[in-house]
Amino acid sequence: MELVLDTVRKTFGGVVAVDDVSAVMPQDRVTALIGPNGAGKTTLFNAITGFDPPDRGSISFGDQRIDGLPPWRVAELGLIRTFQTPVGFTTLTVRESLLAAATPHFAETPVGALGLSRKARDHERASGDRAEEITAELGMAELLDVRTDELSAGDRKLLEFARSLMAEPKMLLLDEPAAAVAPANIGRLSQLVRRLCDERGLGSLIIDHNLSFLMQIADEVHVLDRGALLASGPPAEIAANPDVMRVYLGEDGAEGEGA
Amino acid sequence: MTNPIFWVGVLTLAAIYASLAMALNVESGWGGMWDLGIAGLLAAGSYCYVILTADPDLGMRFAPGLSMWVAWPLSALFTGLVAFAIGAPALRLRREYFLITTLAFAEIIRQLVVIQADFTRGTLGIPNINRPFDSFVTGRDYNYVLLGIAVVAAAVMYLVTRQVGISPFGRTLRAARDNEAVALALGKRVNRMRIKTFILAGVLIGATAPVYLFYIRAISPQLFAPGITFTVWTALVIGGLGSIRGGLAGAFVLIVFTEAVGLIEVDPSHINILVAIEPFLVGLLLVLVLRFRPDGLFSERSAFGAGNRAAGRSAGDSRPAGAAQGSGG
Amino acid sequence: MQNVVFGIVTGSILAVATLGFALVRQTENFLNIAHAQMMALGAFVGVVLVDTYGMNIFLAGAITVIGLGALGVVLSAVFFQPVRHQGGTVLLFTSIGLALMMYAAILALFGTQARFYPDVSGGLHRFAGIGIATNELVIIGLAFGSIAALQIFLNSTGLGRAIRAVASNDDLARVRGVPVRTVSNTIWFISSAFGAMAGVMLGVLGAVNTEIGWHNILIVLAAAVLGGLRSITGVILAGLLLGIMMDVSALFIPTAYRPVVAFGVLVAVLILRPEGILSVQRRKDAVVA
Ligand SMILES: Nc1ncnc2c1ncn2[C@@H]1O[C@H](COP(=O)(O)OP(=O)(O)OP(=O)(O)O)[C@@H](O)[C@H]1O
Ligand SMILES: [Mg+2]
Repeated sequence: MELVLDTVRKTFGGVVAVDDVSAVMPQDRVTALIGPNGAGKTTLFNAITGFDPPDRGSISFGDQRIDGLPPWRVAELGLIRTFQTPVGFTTLTVRESLLAAATPHFAETPVGALGLSRKARDHERASGDRAEEITAELGMAELLDVRTDELSAGDRKLLEFARSLMAEPKMLLLDEPAAAVAPANIGRLSQLVRRLCDERGLGSLIIDHNLSFLMQIADEVHVLDRGALLASGPPAEIAANPDVMRVYLGEDGAEGEGA
Repeated sequence: MTNPIFWVGVLTLAAIYASLAMALNVESGWGGMWDLGIAGLLAAGSYCYVILTADPDLGMRFAPGLSMWVAWPLSALFTGLVAFAIGAPALRLRREYFLITTLAFAEIIRQLVVIQADFTRGTLGIPNINRPFDSFVTGRDYNYVLLGIAVVAAAVMYLVTRQVGISPFGRTLRAARDNEAVALALGKRVNRMRIKTFILAGVLIGATAPVYLFYIRAISPQLFAPGITFTVWTALVIGGLGSIRGGLAGAFVLIVFTEAVGLIEVDPSHINILVAIEPFLVGLLLVLVLRFRPDGLFSERSAFGAGNRAAGRSAGDSRPAGAAQGSGG
Repeated sequence: MQNVVFGIVTGSILAVATLGFALVRQTENFLNIAHAQMMALGAFVGVVLVDTYGMNIFLAGAITVIGLGALGVVLSAVFFQPVRHQGGTVLLFTSIGLALMMYAAILALFGTQARFYPDVSGGLHRFAGIGIATNELVIIGLAFGSIAALQIFLNSTGLGRAIRAVASNDDLARVRGVPVRTVSNTIWFISSAFGAMAGVMLGVLGAVNTEIGWHNILIVLAAAVLGGLRSITGVILAGLLLGIMMDVSALFIPTAYRPVVAFGVLVAVLILRPEGILSVQRRKDAVVA
């Protein structure tokens, strides 16, 4: 199964934020999406996940057209995204946030609230165990009962990632998951992303400015520049591409240091 | 003090407001829907109940004369239906637009009651509403029966809303309130869930309406002016929006306080002041609580046991079971 | 046609009231529910000055408007300034609390009896079969005069421009050294004075009772929302339109439906705007932020 973009375009007033992008991202691989600030990466995520539908072009996941679907429907199909600015469920604890992500629809009704369904209770218990596992792997086990708005920015970023794992994803869309995360935790993060892909076939599409992090885990890299796809290929090839280096070093040197 | 029957009445009223405030908390505290249309829902439930049970001799166009035990659940369901009719369009709007729309709908309902006098007797109102068990207990003693009914209603309301609050459903509601975009990104059908919550609040308010009528005894459209909405909100804000016990505690504080001050002897020539005391105190309490204790008496944080880094305790939910009966009786 | 004229009179009063309301909404960023109680207070203070103290209606009106404008400044300092940092919802609920307290004060001071301004209609003029009383002409004149004066003030004085700067972007204005305090006081003065003026006008045309505030808050909200909370011209048009619709509808349906028409129009406009008003924008904010 794959995520397929076909000449996707999105404009804001006069600004062409995404300029006829076509790409194929396998659901069971790790794909990186890089590009300088304002290249249109987040806009592309918003288009894929239904938050800000594209002006034209088509997006499909597996054999399902997903452009024009509402965000919750895209998520139901298994495309789970995270957000660049990790605000999260401010007043919920880490544990509550993770459990909320895992709660099935049938428990989310006033009648379901009565807690009569055995299935819902079993699901809740299993989710609790999974929440503890995931937070342990990300080194944030001791934060389970801390409110989201009391977490550091880095921990909130990790929570974004953990939360998306709880929602039964088929493919993850991670918007700068490593930004503000402590270096030790970036290691855990990249291991986990890689392992999920290799062992369980759960691939991801990752935006980040930390190129060393991405180059280690990505199978394929797409470079976006001013809305258009500049280059695509395996990490080594991209690292050697003079156009990519020019975009990064010439216009935004600071961002290129990671490479 | 004074006369025990007076205090029985005060506690009855407090229990009724507590029920309304707890119902409001589900949609506003946890659901994040700032509903200023409580009066409208209460009017819908009240008039539904009154019309279904009215004495055919009153000359209303539709008076099936149903038993109150049939009319009671029907009123709750009807109010849920009205909530759906309001919520489905209004929930497409956010924040203050939602608030204005619900306020406007409530006022429309009240005006419709005035205008549809064939069915509702308009501003004439309907006196002498039948009350449960009043053939067995009469006179002053009936006030104790009424207190019992109101306290049981408040206790049931407490248990129901608490269950909603601590359930996965309540958790997702709070999540979507905190961050709609993230909830959507996780596949939550936020709007559908909110409509269901709005209907639930309608059913709960509609179920409380007959108790309110037993207390008031006579119904007329003025009862459902926006004032009652503001009083319920004040109770909830005082108690703590989003906490499990907030509505309960806030209503008792507010009602006991305003009624007690009403006891102060006032010269009959200053009758105006007597009339003004209640709105003044409600307003003053609201202003003071918002200024000095914006989270209310009980905060949402205390209700859902979020520890902090230092305390690091586990998120066991607070278990205040029995508190309802305790303060209600 | 006659009803259109009534509607224009109602609409001008509504425009004045709503403009005061919208000014606070734009600059202080909350819906001031107490605004309509200021209208009620204006109607009462005016009627007391005229009826009890035998004052000339114009003098009484001027004293009421200036006095209540000043009161508005004091109330804002006492009630709203201290909770300003807590944001729009706390301010909104504080304004509900203040509205209840003002309502109580009106009940205590003026009692529950309806009161009336002495007949100041001053004769009927007829133009092509349509009648309009002198006082109605004066009301329309004063309403548009004040609105025009406000426009001129906002556009061509330093303070007025500062207010517009605050209305468009509070933080920027603060950084640029706009005297925020003075600006805020001026806004409250104008807003309350406009509310009081609308109250006196309403009183002159009808009965003065303690419920004026609660009856009008919804109509003012409706006009403010219809006009778009951020546009002065929009507010004026919405006020006029709503006034005309309410009075013209009286030809086809019982007058009892008058407020229902206002709220019905409000609800219809809110709901029929296909994208909703804030829903989409807020969603985007959350994503892009
Ligand atoms: N809602 C919006 N309205 C108007 N313009 C927008 C909107 N969202 C994004 N843009 C513009 O689209 C372009 C792409 O923005 P986008 O956020 O997608 O960039 P990005 O690649 O994610 O950058 P960064 O690395 O800084 O996150 C920018 O010029 C931005 O200003
Ligand atoms: Mg971005």
